[in-house]
This record gives sequence, C-alpha cells and structure tokens, in this order.
Amino acid sequence: MNNVKIKSKNLNVYYGEKQALFDVNLDLNEKEVTALIGPSGCGKSTFIRCINRMNDVIDICKVSGNIEIDGVEINDKNLDVVSLRERVGMVFQKPNPFPKSIYDNISYGPKIHGKGETKSELDEIVENSLKKAALWEEVKDRLDEPGTGLSGGQQQRLCIARAISVNPEVILMDEPCSALDPIATAKIEELIDELKKTYTIVIVTHSMAQAVRVSQKTGFFHLGKLIEVGKTEKIFKNPDNKMTQDYITGRFG
Amino acid sequence: MNFVLIFLITIFSLSLFFYGRSKTKSIAIEKNIKLNALPKFYGYYLVLWCSIPSLVFLLIWSLFEPVIIKSIIIETAANQGAIFNDKNEANLIYEKIKAIHLGTYFGDIDSILRESALAYAKFINLFTNSKVVLIFAIVIASVIYSLKKINKNNKARDDVEIILKGLLFVSSLIAILTTLGIIFSLLFESIKFFSVINIFDYLFGTNWSPQRAFVRDASSITAAEFEELKDAFGFIPLIAGTTFIAFIAMLVAVPIGLFSGIYMAEYASLKIRRISKPIIEILAGIPTVVYGFFAALTVGPFFRQIGENFGLTVSSESALAAGLIMGIMIIPYVSSLSDDVINSVPQSLRDGSYAIGATKSETIKKVVIPAALPGIIGSILLAVSRAIGETMIVVMAAGLAANLTINPLESTTTITTQIVMILVGDQEFDSPKTQSAFALGLTLFIATLILNYIAQRAVKKYREKYD
Repeated sequence: MNNVKIKSKNLNVYYGEKQALFDVNLDLNEKEVTALIGPSGCGKSTFIRCINRMNDVIDICKVSGNIEIDGVEINDKNLDVVSLRERVGMVFQKPNPFPKSIYDNISYGPKIHGKGETKSELDEIVENSLKKAALWEEVKDRLDEPGTGLSGGQQQRLCIARAISVNPEVILMDEPCSALDPIATAKIEELIDELKKTYTIVIVTHSMAQAVRVSQKTGFFHLGKLIEVGKTEKIFKNPDNKMTQDYITGRFG
Repeated sequence: MNFVLIFLITIFSLSLFFYGRSKTKSIAIEKNIKLNALPKFYGYYLVLWCSIPSLVFLLIWSLFEPVIIKSIIIETAANQGAIFNDKNEANLIYEKIKAIHLGTYFGDIDSILRESALAYAKFINLFTNSKVVLIFAIVIASVIYSLKKINKNNKARDDVEIILKGLLFVSSLIAILTTLGIIFSLLFESIKFFSVINIFDYLFGTNWSPQRAFVRDASSITAAEFEELKDAFGFIPLIAGTTFIAFIAMLVAVPIGLFSGIYMAEYASLKIRRISKPIIEILAGIPTVVYGFFAALTVGPFFRQIGENFGLTVSSESALAAGLIMGIMIIPYVSSLSDDVINSVPQSLRDGSYAIGATKSETIKKVVIPAALPGIIGSILLAVSRAIGETMIVVMAAGLAANLTINPLESTTTITTQIVMILVGDQEFDSPKTQSAFALGLTLFIATLILNYIAQRAVKKYREKYD
C-alpha cells in the first residue's frame, strides 16, 4: 500500500442552500489511480474540485471540513491557490484547449509559474510534456498550429500535456473520456496507466469498466455521501454495501 | 373622400368576416359535410378579398390622379392661350389654377385662369366620381367571387396562408426597394456632380470651399468659372477631419468601453451588473443633439479656458471637444458589445486556465481576450463606422471651416457636417454645390458599408468558432 497523499476529513460542500457533499472522509494514495463512481449529481466532481480549490470560482459555493495534501491543510484561506494548482493539475470532461498554438497551449502554464526562462528550456518542457502525454509523435511537426484543430482525443491528450507541463504531484480527471470515441478512450486509459508511475491520479468516471481497467482504489458516491471505498477489485467483486452492489450491477444509476 | 372610402371598406370587410363564419357553419350543418378549414378562415378569406384589391386600387389611383389631372389642366390652359416657357412656369400656372379652385388665390384672375379653374373643377369631380364607382365595382366583384368560392367549400386555410405570405413579401419588397431607391438617387446625383467636377479633383483635392460654386446651372458653366470651381471640392480635408475626430473618439471609447466591458463580464457581481448595465445603456439612449450642445456649450469653452491658462490658443469649436464627447457617446456600444463577446467565451477555457494556476487577470489577458479578439475587433469597427457617420455632435462642436490640420485644438470639419451645411437653407438643385452633398453622402455610405461588412464578418467568424 502506498502512502496517503490526500486526506479529506468531514468535508461538506454547499451550493447556496443545497448541500452537495456530506461528511466525506476519503484517503487517496500516492502514485495510484483512485476512481470515483456514482450516479450523476452524486458529488464526485464536486469532491475533486475541492482538491484544487476550483470551487472558489463558483461564488455560491461554500466548503467546510478539511483536505490535507501531504499533511498540509489546503482549505486554509491563507493558502496560495496559485501554487496549490501548480501541484494539483486538472483535466476536464470536455477537451478545452486554448485558442492558441499547440506550443503555446503547453508553455502557458510554465510561463505563468516562471518556469523555463529561456526558449530552449521551454522547448524542452513542451517536448517532455507532449511525450509524457503520448502526443509528441503526432504533433511534433506542427507545434505552431492551433490546438483547437486537433481531433477530440488529441485535444484531450493536449490538455493532459498542459496539466503535466508544470510538473504537478496530483492530476484530477473529471470524466476525461466521456466526450471521446472508444479508440481515443483506450489511448487515454493507456496513458493514465503510464502516468500513475509519476503522479497521484484521481479520476471521476461513469464507466464501471473504465474504473476497473485503470484504478487501484474505487470510491462510490451516492447523493453526496461516500457510501463505500476500497480496493477496486473488492468493490467490484464483493462490495460490503447493498447500494454499491446495486449500482455496479446496473440496477440503478 | 379617401378616408370615407377606407372607412366604408373596413366596416364592410369586418361584417363580411362574421357573415362568412356563420355562413360556412350553416352550410356544413345543412349539407352535412366536413369543412376544409375552420369557419373563421372563411371569414378571413372574405375580409382579405374584400379589402385588398379595393385598397390597392385606391392607392394606385391616388398616386396617379394628381399627375394625370395636372397634365390635362396644363394642356387645357395652353389651349386657352396661356404662355409658359418651361416646366417651372407651367407648374406655377397649375398651382395658381389649383388655388383659384380652392378659393385661396388673391391675385388677378384673367379669363384663361378662370376657364382653366372651371375645367379643373370639372375634372376633379369626374375623377372622384369614377373612383367611387370603380371601387364599388371592385368590391362587389371580389365579394361575389369569394362568396362563390366559400360556397364551394374551398381550402380557405391554404388560400389565406398564400395571401398572407404575399402581404409579407410585399412588405419586405418595399423595404428593399426603398433602400435601392436611396442608393440610386445618391448615385445619380453624384454622377451629375462628377460630370462637372473631375472625380480625381474631388478625391485628392486639398481645398474644400463649396460656397464658391454659386453657379446657377451646371450645364452653363464657362471655362473661367470651371477653373474657379475645379479646386473648390477637395475631399481630403473632410476625410482628414472625419478620421481625425473619429480617431480621438476611439481613443476615448475603446479603452474605457473595453475595460468596462471586461469588468462587467468578468468581475462585476450579479448585483452590480444588474444596476450598472442599464446605466451604461442609458448613455446610448441620450439623443446625440444633447451630447452636441454639451460639447458645444460646456466642453468646448472649458478646453478654451484651460488652454488660455496655459497660454495656448484653443478654438472654442475644437476637434478635441467634439471627439471627446463623441467618444463618450460611443462607450456604451463598445462596452456592451465587448461584454457580450467576452461572456460568450466558454467557461471551460477559463476553468482550464485557473486549473493550471493562472490568476484571474492572467486568464483574462492571455486566454479570454485572445479568444474574444475577433469579436472585440468587430465591435470596435462598428463603433468606428458609427463615429464617422455621427452628425449632430460635430455639426454643433467641430466647426465648419475645412482646415487641413492635425492640431486637435483647432476647429476642423467632417463629411457629415458639410452635408448639413450644404443642404441647409435655400438651394439651387442644379448647382454643383448642392450635388456635392450627394457625392459626399455616397462616399460616406461606401465607407461605412465596407466597415460594417468587415465588422460583421469578424463577429460572425468568431461566433462560428464557439457555437
């Protein structure tokens, strides 16, 4: 068992009057893929958006409770969000490359964080990130073309490359394959498998099969509560909870 | 008379509606058949048939009646022995005859005029009577035709649809034809102007003083007069003044408008937005003439006062004052258009930028604005075309003399101001001076057309990218 990287304690999230998460206690292990499953609106995305404080962007969202990364509380108002997000990258449901060139899409993050002062350093970061995202071979001859001109699967890998360009410790993925076809999905899953050697990965997914394929640990959410969490194998073969059983066998959700 | 006719036709059509509706209902019951449309459609059908042909006839008749009567009367007067040398004198005599008929003529009435006036009365009577008879005939004929149709249970719904479609088509046709008419009248008058003044003298001349062209008739210009005229219509000072003032206006409007648009779209809370957006839009609702006297009476003298304090000579009608106020007028256009454009940049792009650790201002500067740029440029171009077409502010605040200058403290003039100046007061329609207004109008029209086209292309291209 790897060390615990992220630890949430009694995490509650409210959108205005509505409570979206109820007392979530969840440990995420280092250099491992944790999958979060559950029906739509159950709070999985809300949970991962707490880990890089993306909920700050939403005015009406209030978060209480604790999240620690390497033992450091990140819900602290004094915490520097910029450096938190440098450590915790995120990939979204729909590929969202910036309307810039492929090169600029990747170099955007390093430039913001003052990495890669010289052109050659930047070039190296861009090349490494694209290689890690398994996209380098496909785009190395057209780095100055717009990122929006790539195919959906390539765009998503570009977004992954963008996330790893600042060398984060954690990568959050919010249904990264839901807008992609099966072949592009397979490529991304392969990539996730590779990336977990370096990064701690949290993936939200609607596909049970995907959770089984890519994750070592799975958490099942329902109506804002974490119902059950454990080794992926156990969750899918022999869950303790009746609700988890019903969900993974497709009886609701 | 016409109003009485229209009133009668309306009343009659309305009663036909109720008649048609109940009639078809009873037919359906009597013969036990299924109607091809709801009874009310038969009512509409009768109304449309009763009113449209007669009203169209009335319209056409009213357009042509005065023209025909006039030519008949002028001919009668000529036969009576009236003498006139050209069209204008003929028109004068016709107006006299009309005035005698109406009892508002107070000059001497000779026998020719008296006879003609009697003839005029006779023709008016004849035309009115035949108009009434013809209209009744048309109404009766079309009502008989449509009643026959509904008795046969026609497909009234489809027929009504066709007629309504026709009405809508005619409306849009009128809109298009009017536009074309305006363009062609601009074009023809401009051609007349350019037949006197060489188009290159106009486009590249640096001296604008149309008041020199007091020549009465363009066709009777002597060689000496022509030499005098040749360099009176130089377009350069006007376009220079126009672009200069528009430039000053954009210097004011673009930064303030753009920044306030960014603030509205990205920073303002819902509450602030709800209050301040309408306030900014009120700026767009202020009549330009109000801006105009604000510029002329407050800002212009204020600048002159300040200039004097610094030992500068500032004209009280300065390009600076006009441009500044025009810029303020344009702020809401730039602001609300760029607000819309920025708002339609997808949230996912912002999320992507935040997620990698960018701050709000970095995100706006490096992601949102570049994404919205084509739309922003489009909105700025629309604002420019508004600035060069703006009239009232510059008429009141920019001055009339066509100075070729780049000193914002001096007075300068614009295309629109000169058009106003040329056309105010009594005009000789044949003189190059008057015709030059049309040439200016045409030039301005082409310039704004090109700007609007480019702007709309830019905005459209931007929309396609994110829809």
